[in-house]
Amino acid sequence: MKFLLFLMLTLASVYASLNVQTTYTSLGEIAKKVGGDKVSVNVLANPHYDPHFIVPKPSLISKLRRADVLIINGAGLELGWLPPLLKGAHNGKIRPGAKGFIDVSNAIKLQNIPATVSRAFGDVHSQGNPHYMLDPYSVIPAARLIASKLSAVDESNAEYYHENLDKFLKNWKIYLKGLDTKMRGCKEKNVVQYHELFNYFLNRYQYKSYGNIEPLPGVSPSSKHTLALINTIQSKKVNMILQDVYHNQKTAKFIAQKAGVKFLILPHDVGAVDKTDSLEKFYTVISNKICQ
Amino acid sequence: MKKILILSAFCSSILLASSEVEDLKMQLLQQSEMIKALTQRLDKLEEEKSPYSENIASSGFDTSMMQGTQTANASFSQNAYLPDIALIINSSAVGRNIDNVDYSAYSTPGFIDTDPNKEIPFNPDRGFNLNYAEVAMYSAVDPYFDAFAIFHMRAADFEIDEAYVSTRDLPYGLKVKAGKFKSAFGRYNEKHQHAWEFSEQPIVYSGFFGPEGLSDPGVQLQWVAPTDTYLMLGVEAMQGTNEQSFAYAKTNNLYNTYVKSSVDVTEDTSVLAGISYIHGKNLEGNTDIYAADLTVQTQLDSYRSLAWQSEYMYRNREQNIKTARQDGMYTQLVYDINQNYSMGARYDILMKNNLGDKNLDMYTAMVEYKPFEFSRLRLEYSLDKSKYYGGEQKDVQQLMLELNIAVGAHGAHSY
Repeated sequence: MKFLLFLMLTLASVYASLNVQTTYTSLGEIAKKVGGDKVSVNVLANPHYDPHFIVPKPSLISKLRRADVLIINGAGLELGWLPPLLKGAHNGKIRPGAKGFIDVSNAIKLQNIPATVSRAFGDVHSQGNPHYMLDPYSVIPAARLIASKLSAVDESNAEYYHENLDKFLKNWKIYLKGLDTKMRGCKEKNVVQYHELFNYFLNRYQYKSYGNIEPLPGVSPSSKHTLALINTIQSKKVNMILQDVYHNQKTAKFIAQKAGVKFLILPHDVGAVDKTDSLEKFYTVISNKICQ
Repeated sequence: MKKILILSAFCSSILLASSEVEDLKMQLLQQSEMIKALTQRLDKLEEEKSPYSENIASSGFDTSMMQGTQTANASFSQNAYLPDIALIINSSAVGRNIDNVDYSAYSTPGFIDTDPNKEIPFNPDRGFNLNYAEVAMYSAVDPYFDAFAIFHMRAADFEIDEAYVSTRDLPYGLKVKAGKFKSAFGRYNEKHQHAWEFSEQPIVYSGFFGPEGLSDPGVQLQWVAPTDTYLMLGVEAMQGTNEQSFAYAKTNNLYNTYVKSSVDVTEDTSVLAGISYIHGKNLEGNTDIYAADLTVQTQLDSYRSLAWQSEYMYRNREQNIKTARQDGMYTQLVYDINQNYSMGARYDILMKNNLGDKNLDMYTAMVEYKPFEFSRLRLEYSLDKSKYYGGEQKDVQQLMLELNIAVGAHGAHSY
């Protein structure tokens, strides 16, 4: 009996690759780099949609049901859609706190941590701004955490994961060097955003964000706030408005026209706009658009 | 001898007390010095703080210095184990063509008997209603169990809507629930009133199960199949206290089985279908209910979606004179226009209702405004042709404005 079980376990480990589910595409890309051919990676959220509000389709439950590992962004970004899916999946392997549950925000020093938290201030995340993957440097701690967690779940391939990690990080640091050099040449650095979505990228390259189109996080634009923002744009000499792909663009376009500034649509994740199907291309597209 | 003993005890207690006072004084002195040191440190830190200091990690304090002041409170603190707590408040303003005295005396022939003291839990009064305040709590119990409870409170009523324990870590995709819970058959039954797409219950639910739906003490076993297509199987054994379909007083009598499955037709369009079989006993014989549901949802963008949902139920209720065979259904369409607005319409019908050919039906339409995720204003109009007063069918027209809020740690709703 014990022998049979052992045989089944070894067979399973030989033939089946690790089933890795990630909530968002950038995390999926990192998991593919680190996991190589020992893992099969699936991304739950469509990058065209608002990462805060993904429709919890039952098909996502069946994906989680068979997962060995679940990699999430954390810091509250999945709060509005992932918990009911996890509850329905009946999978102890990826329960929060289990070996196969990876919250990448644990490896990141989060920014914009609010001093006081109340929903009177809109949809503020108590742990800090969750959009840390906009910083290309976040890829490094994220990849390290994923490598060590994959190794813990799948000990027999630990060495393989760490080799992949080293290879990937070496290339990534070279890419970052190139990106840094390019970003050093940017002149126009005053921006306004729809939502505090690009803060990590902006802070990394010393951009200044002077306000948001939404009056409070998660609250739709109001005319009073929009008029005040136009004044700010003019007095602070803002150069561009940064918009995501999923919010209504009407207000941003109106402001851009009134204030005579550029209007840019930036990807918030890998695959959110055309030609961003890899991590490199994702950050390159942002830098190309923002640094002119 | 006794006196000496008492005297010495008295003296020593005074001595001890004075030394305790000394100790306390010393401690006070130490603490005030510590506070002084801390405030100095704080001042210094604040000076160092640059205007854009959000990026500085929060490890600025020397924790070794804080320990003396913290341990006294922290040693036995259990604050971190407090359950998630949410409060839901639901109230409404109702306009209706029937006054409050008459309204509760309605009947639906073959389904709901005339009873002037009938319980109408939601929007009973013309004018203003506080429907309920609900407190929901959730927490992990230990590595093996989760606990969940909803306390439903009305002006003069307290009710445990649900209170159950479910397993965390069973293998093979299994999960067991035990306690008082809402049966997970169909679509409307498991959802709480604040999560319904319309403020009024479908008449097939109120006709078969009454305002609470199918909710009882019992156990539930659910299994999710390890397949690409979503497939969930559930069985439940419940007490069967529901008076409208079961209520076999002698012992527990209710058994439910259901299968749910879902496929994504395209990336943005998904279909969820379910069938259920419910078997129980009433005082005069068996009651069998067969139910089917179908939901099709398509997402147009992050905030716009279209959802079409229908449920059909058939009931076979053995009675002394004859077996009542009845069925009913509803179909509803809800359009989420953007982040703030939704609108929808529903058609309800009860058929084979012991009245020959006459069907009983109801029309409902609503517009919803959500300033934010946690608050909702809903304007709902309904024309209800299923209610009888003194043996005569009477159209009940109703216009209602409902306000619902959820505060605290309120979990996301499922599909």
